[in-house]
This record gives sequence, C-alpha cells and structure tokens, in this order.
Amino acid sequence: MSLLDRDTAARVIRTALSRGGEFAELFAERRSGYNLRLEEGKVEENTSGWETGAGIRVICGESVAYAYTNDLSLASLEETARAAAAAAKAGRSAVVGLEKPLRLLPRREDHPVRLDIDEFPRERKVELLHRADQAAREAGSRIVQVVVVLGDARQEVFIANSLGEAVTDLRMRVRMVVQAVAAHEGEIQTGHESPGILGGYELFQEFPPEEVGRAAALQALTMLEARPAPSGPMAVVIANGTGGVLFHEACGHGLEADAVYKKASVFAGRLGEKVASPLVNAFDDATLVNRWGSFAYDDEGVRAGRTPLIREGVLVGYINDRKRAMRDGTEPTGNGRRQSYRHVPIPRMSNTYIEAGRERGEDIIADTELGLYARKLGGGEVNPVTGDFIFAVTEGYMIRGGKVAEPVKGATLIGNGPRVLLDIDAVGSDLDFDTGMCGKEGQAVPVCTGQPTLRVRELVVGGTTEVV
Amino acid sequence: MESHADLVARLEEWVERGRALVGAGAELELYAQEHRGLTVRVFRGEVESLRYAHSRGVGVRVLREGRLGYAYCTGFDWRDCSRAVEEAAANARFSAPDEHNLLPSQVDRTPGDLGIYHPEVEETASRDKVDLALRLEKLTISLDPRVKRVETAVYADGVSVVAVANSLGVSGSYRSSDCHCYVFPIAEDGEESQTGFSFDQGVRPSDLDLERVAREAAERALCLLGSRSMPSRRTTVVLDNMVAAEFMGMLAAALSAEAVLKGRSFLAGKRGEQVASSLVTVVDDGLLPGGPSTAPFDDEGVPSRRKELIRDGVLTGYLHNMYTASRSGTQSTGNATRSSFRERPGVGATNLFLCEGKGAREELVRGVDDGVLILQVVGAHAGANPVSGEISLGALGLRIKNGEPEQPLREITLAGKALEFLRQTVAVGEDLRFLPFEGSLGAPTVVVEGVMVSGRG
Repeated sequence: MSLLDRDTAARVIRTALSRGGEFAELFAERRSGYNLRLEEGKVEENTSGWETGAGIRVICGESVAYAYTNDLSLASLEETARAAAAAAKAGRSAVVGLEKPLRLLPRREDHPVRLDIDEFPRERKVELLHRADQAAREAGSRIVQVVVVLGDARQEVFIANSLGEAVTDLRMRVRMVVQAVAAHEGEIQTGHESPGILGGYELFQEFPPEEVGRAAALQALTMLEARPAPSGPMAVVIANGTGGVLFHEACGHGLEADAVYKKASVFAGRLGEKVASPLVNAFDDATLVNRWGSFAYDDEGVRAGRTPLIREGVLVGYINDRKRAMRDGTEPTGNGRRQSYRHVPIPRMSNTYIEAGRERGEDIIADTELGLYARKLGGGEVNPVTGDFIFAVTEGYMIRGGKVAEPVKGATLIGNGPRVLLDIDAVGSDLDFDTGMCGKEGQAVPVCTGQPTLRVRELVVGGTTEVV
Repeated sequence: MESHADLVARLEEWVERGRALVGAGAELELYAQEHRGLTVRVFRGEVESLRYAHSRGVGVRVLREGRLGYAYCTGFDWRDCSRAVEEAAANARFSAPDEHNLLPSQVDRTPGDLGIYHPEVEETASRDKVDLALRLEKLTISLDPRVKRVETAVYADGVSVVAVANSLGVSGSYRSSDCHCYVFPIAEDGEESQTGFSFDQGVRPSDLDLERVAREAAERALCLLGSRSMPSRRTTVVLDNMVAAEFMGMLAAALSAEAVLKGRSFLAGKRGEQVASSLVTVVDDGLLPGGPSTAPFDDEGVPSRRKELIRDGVLTGYLHNMYTASRSGTQSTGNATRSSFRERPGVGATNLFLCEGKGAREELVRGVDDGVLILQVVGAHAGANPVSGEISLGALGLRIKNGEPEQPLREITLAGKALEFLRQTVAVGEDLRFLPFEGSLGAPTVVVEGVMVSGRG
C-alpha cells in the first residue's frame, strides 16, 4: 500500500505554496526497525518500533521553512502545510508544475535484497549476536567485555514536489557493531568492527559474525601491548578502509555545497585549482551496489549519482542538494539527504572515497624509514573554516626501517585537511570501505568512507612521549 | 497539545488494558512524550531555516520473568499502542532473563515548583522569535570589523509533556519549556579565520541575554587570530569553563553505574578512594531549580534528587537507575534517562556539575607563570575516552606568560589520563556554567598542572 496518494500530495503541496515560495515538497515515510544489543553474553536490549510521519518544506530564496507531523491524515497534513507556508514571504511565487497529475518516476531496484529483514526470523538474528560474542571471547583470555549491536530497518518513502514529480523508494539496511574490551594489569583497550549493508541479512555471508567479533577482539588485545605513542611531526601511513574517515571529515564536509556557499569551507571558490597531490582522485558515489551509504533516489527524489570531487589533484566538483542546485544554477548531484521526516534535507556525502592508486600497500610501508602506521582511525573533529582536524588513532604502530614495529596507543593525528591532501606522497591499490553514521546539524545518515593505503609525508602526532 | 494530566490518565487506562494483553506474571510500563518546538536559523540577515516540530510517541516496556522487551510507536491511540504492547511482549521472549530488570513501585513524591515551565515560550509569536535570532546575528557582527560574518546563529525552543505509568502503580507527568540561542562568529584577518562560540539558555525567551552572547562569541573568535602552534612540553593548563564542562561529559559517562558494572569506566572499583584533588566536588542534581535537565522524576518514574558523586576528591557514589541499583544492592538515584520514547531507559546524568571554588578566571590565569589557557577543544567525542580514561584532544587557546594570556595557539593537543587531570587540579574557579548540549553539564574554570601539550615548532 502506498503511503499517500498522489492527489492528496498535490493538494498539500499547493497549500504549502499558498503564500508564496519557489519550491515545495512533501516527504512521507513509514519506518520499522529492530534493534538487539548483547552485553555480558546476554541479549539485554530487544526493541522494535515503527513510525510514520511527513515533513513539508517550502523554499523561498535562501530561506527554508519546514514542518512535520506524525499524523498522515489529510487534515493534519494540510495544517502542517499551512505552518510551513506561514514562513514564506509573500511576493515571490513558484512556477508550479501541478496543472497535471503528479508524474510518478519509475521505481528502481538498484540494490537487490537477498535476505529480507522481515523474512529473517528473530531467533536467527539473536543467534548472530551470540556467534560474534563467542568468537571475540575466544580470541584471548584478556577479553573482559564484548558488546554486540545488531540493527535492521525498513524505510518506505514517498516524495512529491512542486516540479510535478513523485518518487517512491524502499531502503532496507542491516548493520552490526562489535566492541571488544581487553584488560590486563589495570590497562584497558577497546577494538571495534562495524560491517553494514544497504540490503538484507546476506550481509553475514560476506562478514560472518565470528570474523567480525574476532577482528574487534584482536585489535583490543594488540593495543593492550602498546606503548605510549610518541609526539611530534612524522611520516604517517594510513591503512586502507577506516582511514577514509579522515578524507570524509577533513575534506568531504568542505565539498558540501552548503558549506561552500557559506564560505565555511577551505574549498570555497577553488574549483579548477590544484588542492591535492596529483596522486589523488576522489569521488562521492551513491550508486555503489548495496554499499551502506548508497541509495536509488536521494531524500529529495533525485536519482543517485557518482560525483567526481578531485581529479589528479584538481578540485572538480562539489556535492549539493536541490536548494543549492536551484540557487547556484547547477544540476542536483543527488546528495540531498535527511535522517527522517523530522529533518530538513541538506547536502550530505554518501560513499566518499579516494580512488585506488598503483602502489601495493606493503610497498608503501617498506618505503617508509620511520613513521606511524595508523591501522585504524576512530572519530575525529574538524574545523570546517580552517580545515584543522584531529583524529584518534585507535590501532597504531610505529614503522621502523620499512617494517611495522611495536603498537602504540593514545596517538592522535593533528593537521590541516588541504595541507594533508597536498602532502600525500603515495597511494596504494587496495581501496577498501568502512561504514559509519555521519552527523551534521543534528542529523545522522549512513555513509561509507573509503581509501587505499596512503602516506602523508608529515603529520603532527599527538602522543605522550618523545620519539625514540 | 494534550495537558499532562490528561495524558497520564490515558496512560493509566492503557496500562490496565495492556495487563490483559500480556497476561498474568508480566509487568508493563508505558512512557509517552509529546513535543512541540521551533528552531530558527539565520544567516546574513535572512531566515535560513524555520522548523516547526510536532512529535509524539509511546514506548512500552514489558518484563516477564526478568526478560525485557521493548517496542515503540508514533500512534497516540490504543490500536497502535496495543500492537506495541504485543510486540514488546514478543521481544521479551528472546531476551536473556535478568533478575535485576525491575520497575519501580509506587513512590511518594513532593514535586513543588521546579521552575521548568513558563508559558512565555508558547505565548511568543514566531515572528518575535525570528527577530531574536536576527538580532543575535546583527549584534555579533557589529562589535568588531574583523567579525564580518557568522557561520550560524540560532534561536530554538520547545515545550514537552512527559508521562509515565506502570503496572506497579507508578504514574506521573510534567510539562517543561526550554529555549536557547547560540552563535558561531567567524573572525578574519588576512588569510586567517577563527571560529568563536557562545550561547545562553533558559525556560523562556526573555531569559536570553543576546548582548552577552554576541560579545563573548566575538571575543572568543578574535582572541585566536594570529595563532600558531607551540613546541611540545609539559605545562600548566587553565581550562575555560565551557571546556571544563565538556570534560564533565567524560566524567558523567564514567560515573554511570551501568558503565561501572560493565567494566567500561575508568572509575570502576574506586568508590571511597581519593580520585581527585581535594578541590574537586562533583554533584548531580535532578531538582536544580530551572536546570535544563530538571524534572520531578526520572524516565522510569523514580523521584529526582541531588547527590554528591565526588566529595573533596573522594569518590562517594555512582549514578543509578532501577536496574543498576538492584545489581549493586543499592537504591536508584533517579538517573534513568532516555533520549526519546524510542529507547528503553539507561543511566545518565541530570544536571551534573563541578562545584565552584574561589576566584574569577582572570585571577586563576594570573596565578600561572607559564602555561596555556584552553578555550576550545576538538575531538571530545573520540579523544576523551571514559572507558580507559585517556585524553587526547586537539585544542585552541592562549599561551600564558607571567599571569597574562598572550600568544594565540592552534594545532596543539592535550594528552594524558583523566585521573591525572583530576588529581593535578590545583584551582577551581567560581564561574560555574552549564552547557545545554547533550544533557546538562556544568563546570567553572579549572587549573591543572603537568599536562602534556604537543605541537610543532
């Protein structure tokens, strides 16, 4: 059953534009989800939920008015549309494409689901958590705690706008996050793994829960042996996979068109300029099949796309949403995303990555005399205006004489996004991805970050000891 | 919006009907929340976005033989709610039994006036709220020619109604209002730009002091212009009260009995020990008049109260909900929290703060011959780990020489252990301030000795 019929949608959109505005849109969704959490070997959280809601948006110049409700009755939607309309300034009016019935764009099946979340029984979902937990505990006696979280969600959306278009889409996602805690003689360290998919429970065919649990445990156990990290500038080799979070945070957010427009980005006004080492090619690509950050249509009903960001070191593109495309006179790139009907769509990354280069990852390490090997990066923060960033290295090693040497703990990478891009002097061929929930303006959306092994000539490592 | 008295009456009725659905031997709790809010974001003298929110939902907890199931829905009628009750009961079948899964039973409470609601939020026209945000932006850029723009200026408010009822006879409800404003100005000089920040909060729009927010935000951006890194060294740091309040987030996470029981706290097993300098007293007060997280009862219906967690440096207790209290053989401290009806209650701080000592920030800085005044930290989520107690954060601030803040600093990091920070605290100021984000955390200015500050040059 469709969430809303097209006639109702057209009526609500007309109400939203009744006091002016250049664009109006209705976004309705029905979402159901199931979340399990295991800790101390026990399933302690077992939650299901469902919600319906709709958000109505009116764009008037640079202004956006947004109103939402949980009640999809016509009366409630009309009231919500009037609240959104009240914010529009009279005078500017839209060219409304609503003379004819809304045109429904074709449903896309770009991301096939092989094991539907609603057909996968509760018992088997619970079993996945126990398998990950057991494997993590068997990795070593110093593993003192394991937390496994499994979440699945089905989101049906209906999007209609004053251009006369309507879109329906179904997104199904599954993700497991394992955190292992290791302890020895008062020292505590943690390890994380988090595979996810735009799809169903086939995720665990590629990532058996045992391997996920074991990998998280081994990371925690390794860091237990670590020495305090040194501090000071040094060469840093960032491993493939999780390292992509650095590009996402330190550069990707600066390529979002709203940040560019506000000049809250070091990349504003720099299209066509050299911003990175010629070894760097970067993309945002929501079309990668079944990737955690992918989709068929974005949350404004724009078809998903693959957007080149940096080509051989030259800045070639930004990612935008409908509003920025309208205002900047460019085409929408299909990056208008929102957490839910409660949120205004804004330019967001999908799967953002640095493309594979030619060198083998191990050769890059072999070519490094002394430095830090950042095997896994944790979270970080970036000042978008300056590009200055800080990242925690959650699994790090020294590189000595071209070999990965002792593990080091408590290291952070501190630097500046654009400067790091220019300082990349080696790019590997081993592109890999990691999943994440990206936060911006209080909204979390699923994204992938990706990169091959690469080396930054020099970065400041914040640690607690001198380099020895 | 439904009155909170009506809402709780409806929940009591649903609890009765729900009991019949889940059958004998099961306990049931309903938590309902309704919220209306407005957020205005302005940019360059125009409304960038105006957001009206109206959300509501019900969360259902079912306990059977210690097995816990949870479900939620956004429908505010028995049809949706009964489905959630059935779903929660089904989920309970697949959870592990745990004797400590308990609901509170009937409790006495003396609510009194907590100062958490004022009708002004609902009575003020949206247009006037838009003007507040526009005025904040204008004031901020009018103070200094180097502050030409703001990244964002926001006014936001909301009114919430919360009700809880369970099958053991607990029922209650309350209404609260809150509003806040904040601004991020950008100061520029040549090629360099720096971001500042300030905010204010209250229960009604007229609580907000826009002039003070504008001035402080601009000053915080301006004073960082001309910044550079510094050579790595161990030194004395003065943590600005906003920065110190961010550190309280790490402490709040580590003081949660849930984290302690699960081995995820660097403060586990330290009750009764001197964990901090004798200058450090930390309190969590769920009844703090007008506090951002003040309420008559917590998110499972246990009355709120004030408790000391660290007294004169000695760890005296942890934060508990019903579950952790039962496991630890103690009473709930009224610290069950949930971010919305979508979640079952966990453990969290209410208004948690470091108690004031003596001295204004200027006096504390004057007492430092050679050190660093930290004005902003970046990476607090990743770099302040409440499990291991390790701290490794990027920072911005000012170099202190002979008691005077001088050279602005960027690209520096602070590193160490939380226990070292607590034990090496040598002064606590008297400028306690609460951050309204992610709960309600407060601290005055704090001076810590012997902190590793890394940089280049």
